[in-house]
Amino acid sequence: MSHTRTEPSSPTRARLRPMLLAAGLTLLSLASGCSAPALGPLLGLEPVNPWEKGNLARPAMMFDTNSLETRYLEHIYTSREAASGGSGVGGGGCGCN
Amino acid sequence: MSEPSRGAAGAAIVAAALTLPGVAPPALAESAPERTVLSLGYLNYQDSQPGLKRITVNAPSLGLVVPFAGHWAIEANAVGDSVSGASPRWHSSISSASRMQDFRKAGDVRVTRYFERSSIALGTAFSSEHDYRSQAISALVKFTSDDNNTTWTYGAGRAWDVINPVNQVVVDARKNTTDLMAGVTQVLTPNDIAQVNLTWARGRGYFSDPYKVVDNRPDSRDQAAVLLRWNHFLESMQATLRTSYRYYGDSWSVRGHTFTAEWIQPLGHGWSVAPLARYHTQNAAGFYYDPYYDPVLGPPYPPGFLANPNGLYSPDARLSAFGAGTLSLKVANAIDRDTIVDASLSFYEQRSSWRIGGNGSPGIAPLSARFLQVGLTKAF
Repeated sequence: MSHTRTEPSSPTRARLRPMLLAAGLTLLSLASGCSAPALGPLLGLEPVNPWEKGNLARPAMMFDTNSLETRYLEHIYTSREAASGGSGVGGGGCGCN
Repeated sequence: MSEPSRGAAGAAIVAAALTLPGVAPPALAESAPERTVLSLGYLNYQDSQPGLKRITVNAPSLGLVVPFAGHWAIEANAVGDSVSGASPRWHSSISSASRMQDFRKAGDVRVTRYFERSSIALGTAFSSEHDYRSQAISALVKFTSDDNNTTWTYGAGRAWDVINPVNQVVVDARKNTTDLMAGVTQVLTPNDIAQVNLTWARGRGYFSDPYKVVDNRPDSRDQAAVLLRWNHFLESMQATLRTSYRYYGDSWSVRGHTFTAEWIQPLGHGWSVAPLARYHTQNAAGFYYDPYYDPVLGPPYPPGFLANPNGLYSPDARLSAFGAGTLSLKVANAIDRDTIVDASLSFYEQRSSWRIGGNGSPGIAPLSARFLQVGLTKAF
């Protein structure tokens, strides 16, 4: 009895191709250490130097200061209101009452 | 010493301090955490409406961030929700409220690899109740500019949910969601940092609430949100003002606006207080119906139900038009350099009459909630 290895169908490959291309470009850019464009000059902002960032480094100035507390609050509001999103991706759903 | 020279001396001291190992500010630089951090949390949540104590939740949680191999970190979180109480089966009808009890387990793990000016994180999450299971994966990539003042964030996620309600209205119903995110964080001044995030989600599958009577929702939902955040440090008071605004819109015709402002005030000796105010307003989903019922069938059937029994309907008050406010106060104390304990008490109220930008939905009782959180964070 012969076994034939089946290749992914063309539509599947067509769907996967842009995702693989995006993933490959992302990994390439990460590995090459390429940097992202600075937005400050476009906005007319004076660049802030490393020695001026003492206040910015305070925990209260971070956008995600307490992961557990943030999760509690987002879960409560998602359970009681129709709106959600804006802060991340990949959270699990729930059958919240 | 004159003010300018004091400022220059201060900058020199900060610049010198930045050369010490482990003192470089993490603001926007893509660097792995240097220490293991353990977080413990506990939430007690209680909500009610006039004449009905509704849902009580007690939820302990555990979080851990562990750096390893120089450029890597693993983050794990777990929570257990004990949920009990009563939930109306249509609108805010007390007589229809059904009792429920459940235990929800949820957790997530994320592994991050840090490069010189970028990072990539891969994560997975799960949530399990006796009638609902969810699994999700995600990827998040960050790129930082050469001047360390701009960070670009891109993310993608996918969730697979399975619904098996005890009343067997559906069996093994599925809901799959894909979400995408793009964001930018920008240092504006030495005391200001801002962030803009765009998120978009496309869900397909079973969206109805199986425990609500006459609840038949579309089998798809596309959601988009724009989140603007701005943090400002006030030198004169050594305090931080944290603000945010979110615009939300979805394919169910819901539009929402959410504003948050928090003031973090250090008091000395490791103590700080943080009052917070939040306001949310939304209009009703296109298929939500007000509590006016069919003259023949009576509650909870909407007028004309018999003529179109398979139409889209929902009596879920969460999809109605309302405004909601939260006031909270958080107190934190740094016991030592490595340990912080905190507690916060929040009061939440949801009322039709508090909606801004239109009329609230009629005939819905106000919903009040009180939530108490305590937490402990320790670095090793």
